[in-house]
Amino acid sequence: MKEAVFTFFSLFTLLTAAGVVLSRNVIYSAFNLVLCFFGLATLYLLWGATFISMVQILIYAGAIVVLFVFVVMLLNFEKPNERKTRLPIILLSSAGVWTFALILLRVLSKSVGEIPVLETTARASVRTVSKLLFSQYLWPFEVLTVFLLALIVGIFVLARPEGEEVK
Amino acid sequence: MILAEKLTSMAYWSHFVSIALFALGLLGFLTRRNALIVLMSLELMLNAVNLLLVQIAMRTGTSEGIVLVVFVITVAAAEVAVGLGIILNLYRMKKTVDLGSFRNLSG
Amino acid sequence: MTVLDFIIAGLKAIVILVAVIQVVPVMIYVERKVAALIQDRPGPNRVGPFGLLQPVADALKFLLKEDPIPLYTHRLLYTLAPFLSLIPACLVIAALPIADKAILFGKEITIQISDLDVSLIYVLAIGSLGVYGILFGGWASNNKYSLIGALRSASQMVSYELPLGLAAVGAVMVFGTFSLREMVLQQEGTLLGVLPNWGIFYQPIGFLIFLVASFAETNRLPFDLPESEAELVAGFHTEYGSMKFATFFMAEYMNLATMSGLMTVIYFGGWHLPWVTDAQLLELLGSQNLLCLIQVGTYIFKVSVFMFLYVLIRWTLPRFRFDQLLTLSWGSLIPIGLLNIVVSAILMYVLGGK
Repeated sequence: MKEAVFTFFSLFTLLTAAGVVLSRNVIYSAFNLVLCFFGLATLYLLWGATFISMVQILIYAGAIVVLFVFVVMLLNFEKPNERKTRLPIILLSSAGVWTFALILLRVLSKSVGEIPVLETTARASVRTVSKLLFSQYLWPFEVLTVFLLALIVGIFVLARPEGEEVK
Repeated sequence: MILAEKLTSMAYWSHFVSIALFALGLLGFLTRRNALIVLMSLELMLNAVNLLLVQIAMRTGTSEGIVLVVFVITVAAAEVAVGLGIILNLYRMKKTVDLGSFRNLSG
Repeated sequence: MTVLDFIIAGLKAIVILVAVIQVVPVMIYVERKVAALIQDRPGPNRVGPFGLLQPVADALKFLLKEDPIPLYTHRLLYTLAPFLSLIPACLVIAALPIADKAILFGKEITIQISDLDVSLIYVLAIGSLGVYGILFGGWASNNKYSLIGALRSASQMVSYELPLGLAAVGAVMVFGTFSLREMVLQQEGTLLGVLPNWGIFYQPIGFLIFLVASFAETNRLPFDLPESEAELVAGFHTEYGSMKFATFFMAEYMNLATMSGLMTVIYFGGWHLPWVTDAQLLELLGSQNLLCLIQVGTYIFKVSVFMFLYVLIRWTLPRFRFDQLLTLSWGSLIPIGLLNIVVSAILMYVLGGK
């Protein structure tokens, strides 16, 4: 039962990811991206990571893709004005990607593939994650907050229309 | 593990999904010329890494992987916000988001 | 999980969903009657006694009307959009704890579709997906007004999710859990001997932020900028008719119901009656099932008070301007929400625990 659900949602995730990459229309890409994130959230659920699964939907599907769709609608593409990529580039990149994927496969099968799966019920709960976040990883966490502050300032500068002075 | 059991188990296939997702993202990143889709491909790659991290964390029963995923998600959200800001500015300049048309700096 | 558990879960989902959908006809009637009351006119009074059958007539009208798809729309997304806004509204219900438990056929059945340990994040996450219906609906209609409505809705929803989340963080700190069910279980009894032990007395500012943000999240007046009929015709659903329009309508009322339910659960003690603990009631009534019925009744009463508040405010307050709307969120609600978190943390540290 679990395996069947897993297979279905893996295929779903990969198909929608392919949809993101291959769609001619940006709005279809964005739509596929939402579905892909849903597939991923389900895979996280299957692994037992409920917290990350919900955060995935909340942040990726609920905020990031909304921003994408917002920009697509703001720019209002009448028709896709993207030129086609030349064939040699496609072939070359595909070859590169294949090689890279094979190397990854080789490495990960040796390392990740051979970790035995724990059968315990003690899964990473919100409590343990947040305890780690506020003790062992407090320093990176604080750095991240400073990073976010810098980001907000950066976006304000970027979004300001050209020629307008900062008040 | 017996081969048949291996081939139907979730643990055996999970990192294939992650790698395939990463490869798809990389392919999109290299071949697409629409800046928005390139940014989406970047997101796919980040998510592939997240999937692997969650998997490792859950397999080993530790929470460090989950903490890392939280960091990755934050950075990804930040990256998209900046990226979209830049794309909007690029669109204002040239009225297109085709990456091939931004060649002002190439000699 | 045995087959029986599976069947029970399925039945529970169907029964609760069908029960919550009944909110829609009731709200149609209440909204029209209250509007009439405030505007000093009789309101619907032709169909049935006191116009009570008006919702049935409305539904029939929606069902029987022709369902045209305007030319030059994006067909797929145009058809999909109403359902994209209805489905998240229905999904949210799964996490709301309606009552404690009933004993049927010798099995304990919790009156909640699924008790997830992160149900608060689930509600916020799924609730934030409703924006896609509006976005795609407005874009696919190929109409300037619809597009403006959709863009407004996107920025409004994203801006108001933050205060909503911040207010919820305050509640999470007080209760020490993300599970809505555990939150309700902790709100039993009295606080300091006089007040009911409800979340609003721990998080009064959090509740106000949550209330204001929930108006914006459900696109209700004073914040119904996405569909403000005076300036945008009808905003994102200008081009929609017949059953597709009714689906948007249903989604709006379902969102109202879930938001009211959420406020009841987090800030108003969920199914608990004030000042009385469940154990005392159980002793008085002597039957778990009777207690469960009373709990369901209490919950429904609290939710309907909130729904009535929504309707009253809709017909009394004027609409905000769009820049005022965004300033309210980014300029006041978010700073106050952050301050609320800091102050609650300090208070909790000083007072020890709650």
